[in-house]
Amino acid sequence: MIIKYKKPYIIVFLFIPGCWFIGQGSYIHAKAIVAQNLLEQAWSNVKQGKSQSKPWPWADTWPVARLKVPKFDIDLIVLAGDSGRTLAFGPGHNFASAIPGKNGNSLISAHRDTHFNFLKKLNPGDSIFIETAQEENKLFKVLSTQIVDMDEARFINDQSSAYVHLVTCYPFDSISTGGSQRYIVTAISQTDYIDPSNKHNF
Amino acid sequence: MLSLNKNLFKRRPRREYLQDRYKPHKSGLMVWLQRLIIFILISVLTLFLLLLSDIVKAEPVADDFPQVSLNNISEGSLLIKNANSALYKQIPHLKTVVDMNVSGMIVRSHIKQQFKNTSNNWVEAIYVFPLPELAAVDHMRLLVGERVIEGIIKEKQEAKKIYNTARKAGKKAALVEQERPNIFTNTIANIAPGETVHVEIEYQQTLHYDQGSFSLRFPMAITPRYIPGKPVNESISVSNSGWAKNTQQVIDASRITPHINMSNTLINPVSININLNAGFPLQNITSRYHNITKQEVDDAYHIKLSEGVTPSDRDFELVWTPQLNHMPKAAIFNELINGENYQMLMLVPPDNGGYNGQPLARDVTYIVDTSGSMHGISIEQAKASLLMALDRLRLHDKFNIIQFNSITDRLFTSSQMASFENILIAKNYIKQLSADGGTEMAPALNLALNKLSSDNYVHQVIFITDGSVGNETELFDIIHKKLGNSRLFTIGIGSAPNSYFMRKAAQFGRGSFTYISGVNEVNKKMSALFSKLESPLMTNIKIDIGDNQTAEIWPQRIPDLYHGEPLTLAIKSGKPLNNIKITGSRALAPWSAKLNLKLNKPSKGIATFWARQKISALIDSIHDGANKDQVRTDIIDVALNHHLVSKHTSLVAVDKTPSRPNESKLDKHNIPVNLPHGQSSQKTFGQLAQTATSAELNIICGFTLLMLGLALTVLLRSSETERANDMNNEARPL
Repeated sequence: MIIKYKKPYIIVFLFIPGCWFIGQGSYIHAKAIVAQNLLEQAWSNVKQGKSQSKPWPWADTWPVARLKVPKFDIDLIVLAGDSGRTLAFGPGHNFASAIPGKNGNSLISAHRDTHFNFLKKLNPGDSIFIETAQEENKLFKVLSTQIVDMDEARFINDQSSAYVHLVTCYPFDSISTGGSQRYIVTAISQTDYIDPSNKHNF
Repeated sequence: MLSLNKNLFKRRPRREYLQDRYKPHKSGLMVWLQRLIIFILISVLTLFLLLLSDIVKAEPVADDFPQVSLNNISEGSLLIKNANSALYKQIPHLKTVVDMNVSGMIVRSHIKQQFKNTSNNWVEAIYVFPLPELAAVDHMRLLVGERVIEGIIKEKQEAKKIYNTARKAGKKAALVEQERPNIFTNTIANIAPGETVHVEIEYQQTLHYDQGSFSLRFPMAITPRYIPGKPVNESISVSNSGWAKNTQQVIDASRITPHINMSNTLINPVSININLNAGFPLQNITSRYHNITKQEVDDAYHIKLSEGVTPSDRDFELVWTPQLNHMPKAAIFNELINGENYQMLMLVPPDNGGYNGQPLARDVTYIVDTSGSMHGISIEQAKASLLMALDRLRLHDKFNIIQFNSITDRLFTSSQMASFENILIAKNYIKQLSADGGTEMAPALNLALNKLSSDNYVHQVIFITDGSVGNETELFDIIHKKLGNSRLFTIGIGSAPNSYFMRKAAQFGRGSFTYISGVNEVNKKMSALFSKLESPLMTNIKIDIGDNQTAEIWPQRIPDLYHGEPLTLAIKSGKPLNNIKITGSRALAPWSAKLNLKLNKPSKGIATFWARQKISALIDSIHDGANKDQVRTDIIDVALNHHLVSKHTSLVAVDKTPSRPNESKLDKHNIPVNLPHGQSSQKTFGQLAQTATSAELNIICGFTLLMLGLALTVLLRSSETERANDMNNEARPL
């Protein structure tokens, strides 16, 4: 009877901030999901030969490739650049790295809690498909998964085959942001993939 | 709020009353218990929120992911991730010894590269290394044990074929190729496990003389190049492989972007020994970026690095100044090879002294590179240089500032007078500059050079950059076509700028190139540049060798000379030239000089100098619309005759006897190079993005708060009912 007057306090101090926090968190996820759908149109433009087709007029990025992992039902549109603003919408391709599907090292980064959460499930030998404007699904095989400190990450400079490095933050279930560890899944074009079990027959 | 407070006051006496009355009563205990629970909940939540980040950071790495620690590696070995496993693997280890011999204007250098294979497999080592941009590489030797295999010069594709055949046959082979005039690669096939192979490379360069000092530069680090452009058509990239082969501007990007060593230990140690025979008494010798020891022997100086070796992360530069009364006015060297006379001529036009004419009214456009590769010390140097440049403007001058990274931005829409207010606005603009993003130079250059130069101003463009681009040719084209009456001056910033690009850009821009390596150098180097900018230049320079003489002289179009700059010519003639007359004009005042070329004792390397000058002039002629195939044929012709590595020729050395057994596999390794000193690796490589969002944290916080609220509500409600019951109980007996 009397104690119910305490409830406004609870609402003000706990429920409202609680909802706000959940809203903020969900917004990040919602943006990640909705953006990928909006990108479909831009991607079909790219496939029709319109390069640098912007998904919305004020965007500072455009789709460059499509990343598919059938095993986990993953189908993502990769954007140009890996700035924080871009990564909110989809995986981002590092400008300084090779173009996905081409020879050399291609770096694709995404958030560990949205698009690239599935990386933890990838194992060596798994198949990844990369679709680009010019090329239909190009098959890549996962070579390795590793955890590195951001400053110690190195990539082998082998220009004779195509590598795709999928990069996300590590640990996956950590709730803090801005850590220096990265989880890197390295995949190589299937044509250059050597099954580790056959290694000694080379 | 007021009514709430009233209620609170009302509540208290009743509770006290209840508690007093039923002191050992269960419900009083419950109230305290509830309070305790709430208190604990709140404390736990607070603690949880406070410690959140710390807990996460201390969290150990899960065992099911293999992590390789770089700390476990024994010292001295070089490691790289193996492509086919998650493990790190040892790769060939490189040591470099450089011996330089300076005689007159010519420097002959020996570079000895030692490749040590520390792995258990046969390897092929690939090393990308920089050389001075006018270096003429003419010898390469492969040293296998006691044997010396001399490299031979071949057309590029042919050399590659020879190398590949040897590699497949298991023979030791080395191939030196030129990727850019200042970037070379050395590939060595079939190094046995544990074996050490030496490769000796010899090259010649010409000293740089400007404002009374000679300088000798040995580049040791390559600033990672920004590779702009969109993908090219599939049909173009098919023939070659490599990353960024697929961009339109830079079709050979993969070859000029070596792997960068990202660990903290510096690799590839270099030792440098110089024998300096200047030919005149010296006032001083200084090394700009390294500590040196010098020893005078007869007329020469022996110079060494004080530390013995240095990591190859910044360029080496030695500068010496002649004693005042020995300042050279002119120098002539000659060499006779196969009946041909080669001559090198250096002439310093007289100082204009105190120029008394009208001060030049200038319209200066400053272009500053704010791309990611400028991050760190470089952008600070650029800012310091810009601020200083603004202070030198006079009231009647006009100016504007353009900055570029991935996008281009300018301070004013058009050039403004250098008024006090405008300078102040500009200074604030400069202070806010920060380096991030790509290096899209073309739009900035277009913007700066797109100007009607019909007014009475002298148009100068001052371009501050580290030049880390791969599309040099495209940019030269823009400069060449749009220059008009403007003059382009480049200022190289950072510890390893792409000086080939900047020197050439200044050449096409008919300006000059200034290199600034440290913030403490800004003052001195910029002052020297200003004296060039503010004094009139020597123009219309013509050469007269006499009527009945023929000679092939490079460069064919003599560039304008700025204050303190020498004129350098490479001459080849059947009959030795006796006299040469040079005319020009400075600020409309004519000047001429006549030189007697006869009286000189022969020196070495002049033919090589001539050939190198010719090759670079031939390459430049492409921008003037020369036929590419013809230029290629001409270059191959000169290069083969003079045994020079060029864009179209390479040196290849092959051992006769195979060393690798057929059944052993050959591993391919690229030797990582150090990032230039002071440059942050993450900004340059655009290294690994931030890939965590606060979504999880927010949701967890939100849920915790909601649960807490819910728990409180439930707890309070239950106490409420209990109290209501109590009250009922109390009411009944009364």
